[in-house]
Amino acid sequence: MNRFDINVPLVKLLVAKDWQLFEKQLALYVAGGIVALCLLGMAQRWSFYVGSLVLIIVLVSTACFAISNSLIVERKERTLAFVMSLPVTPMDFHVAKLIGNLVTFGVPFLIIAGGAIAVVLLTPLPDGLVVYGLLIFGYIFLAYCVSLSIATVVESEGWNTFAMISSMVLINPFMMVLGQIPSIADNISRDAVVWTTPAVAILAVQVVVGIGVLAYTTIAHCRKPTFY
Amino acid sequence: MTAAFSVSGLGKRYPHFELHDIDLALAEGEIMGLVGVNGAGKTTLLRILAGISSPDSGTVEVLGHSLPREQVAAKRQLGFASEDMRLYRKRSLRWHMDLIARAYPDWDESYAGILLKRFALRAEQLLDGFSHGQRVKALLLLNLARRPRLLLLDEPTTGLDPVARVEVLEALSDVLRDGDRSVVFSSHNTHDIEQLADTITFLHEGRMLASCDKESFIDRWRRMVCQGDWTPDLAHWPQIAALRRSGSVLELKIRDFSDDLAGRLKGQGLDVRTVHPMSLEDIFITTVRAGETA
Repeated sequence: MNRFDINVPLVKLLVAKDWQLFEKQLALYVAGGIVALCLLGMAQRWSFYVGSLVLIIVLVSTACFAISNSLIVERKERTLAFVMSLPVTPMDFHVAKLIGNLVTFGVPFLIIAGGAIAVVLLTPLPDGLVVYGLLIFGYIFLAYCVSLSIATVVESEGWNTFAMISSMVLINPFMMVLGQIPSIADNISRDAVVWTTPAVAILAVQVVVGIGVLAYTTIAHCRKPTFY
Repeated sequence: MTAAFSVSGLGKRYPHFELHDIDLALAEGEIMGLVGVNGAGKTTLLRILAGISSPDSGTVEVLGHSLPREQVAAKRQLGFASEDMRLYRKRSLRWHMDLIARAYPDWDESYAGILLKRFALRAEQLLDGFSHGQRVKALLLLNLARRPRLLLLDEPTTGLDPVARVEVLEALSDVLRDGDRSVVFSSHNTHDIEQLADTITFLHEGRMLASCDKESFIDRWRRMVCQGDWTPDLAHWPQIAALRRSGSVLELKIRDFSDDLAGRLKGQGLDVRTVHPMSLEDIFITTVRAGETA
C-alpha cells in the first residue's frame, strides 16, 4: 500500500464523527459570532468596540476549541486508541483530522468572516475596514494552522496549550503593527476598499504560510508507517 | 493449518524498554494467553499485532497480511481492545455501534443485539454513566459484533472489581467458544489466562520465556516434596527449576517432569513424599525467577 493512498470512506467517517461530536458547541460559537456582528452593525462607537472584542474572542475560542477537542482531548481521554484501532493508517487519521478541523473551524470562521464583511459593507461603517478585518481574519487563520500543526505533531498538552495561547495572544501586537503601516492604517476610515501592496503581501503571506505549515505536517505524517 | 499471526525475530526499542527477538505464532481458531508482569512487553506485542505500532526488526504477518505495510487490510479483519482504550463519554453505545457498523462491512447487527442482552447493556445509555465493567463489555461488544477473525485483548480484566471481573470472564468464555475466531488475550492475572487460553506464552522484561499449549505446561511441571539430605549434584539437574529447603524437607519445582524422576531422586537419597501439579501462577513465577525458558 502506497503511503499516499487514502482510505476515503474511513476518512469521511472520521470527519463526520468529529462534526457530530462538536456541532452543538460550534453552533453556540456561530451564535456568539452573530451577536458580535449585530453589535458591529449598530455602527455606534461603543457597540463597535464591544462587537470587535466579542468577535475576536469568539474566533479565538472557536480555533482553540476545534484543536483541543479533536486532538488534545482525544489523547487525554484515551479515545485516540479507539480510533487508531479502526482500519486507518496514520496518514488517513491525519487527513481526517485535518479535514475535520478545517470543517469544524472553517464553517464558523467563514460564516463569521463573511458576516463581518457584509456588515461592514451594508452598514454606515467605513468600507475601508474590510481590508483591516480580512488581515485580522488572516492572522487568526495563520495562528490556527500553526497551532493545529503543533497539536498534530507534539503530544505534550502543555506545549500545545502554550502554542495555542501564545499564537492567539499575538493578535494584539499584530493589530498594533497594522496600525503603524500608513498604507493600511490610513485607509481604514475611508469609505472604499483599498488594497495596497503591503496589505496584499501580508494577506498572501498569512495564507501561504498557513497552508505551507499544514502541508509540511502532512508530508511528515506520510513517513510514519504506523501510529507508534 | 493457517496461522492467525506469526512473528519472527521481532524487536522494538523504547528509551527504557526493549522487546527482544520474539518468534511466535498462533494457529487459526486458537486462544493464546500472554502472561507477564507490568512492563513485560505484552502491550507492545499486541500493538504491533494490531498494526498500531511497527517493529524495529523482524517480520510480522497477521491473517496473511504483512505488517505494517498491509495494516488496513489486517485491521479490517481483527478486533483490538486494550485496558487504556476509552469510548466517547458524551455519546451513547448506540452511537458507537453505528460508527463501527459503518467502518466494518461485516458488522452483525443481530449478533450485536444478542451481545447487548448477554452483557446486560443499554444501547441508548451515554458512556459517561457506564461503570468500568460496562465499558469493558461495551468495547468487547463493539469488537465481537464486527466478526473479527482475530481478536486482540490487552488486559481486559484489569481494574475490574471481583464481581465485574468474573462477569466479563464468563461472558468472554461464552462468546469466545462461539465460533472459530482466534484470540490473543493478555493479563498479569494467570487465573484469567488459565480459564480461557488454549496456548500460553510467558513474557518477561521484553523476552519470551515460554510458549506452548496449556495442557503441556500443566503436565510438564510438578511440585515435589522430599525428605532427605540435599546433595550439590542435584543443582545441575536440568529438571529442577527451583528448590527450597526447610530442615530436612526439600520442596522442588520440576520442569519436564517424568515418571522415573522419583526413582532417580531416591537414588540420590531423597524420599519423595508428595507430587502435585503446579498452578499456572506458580509455573510462571518459577520460570521468571529461574530466568530462563520453561
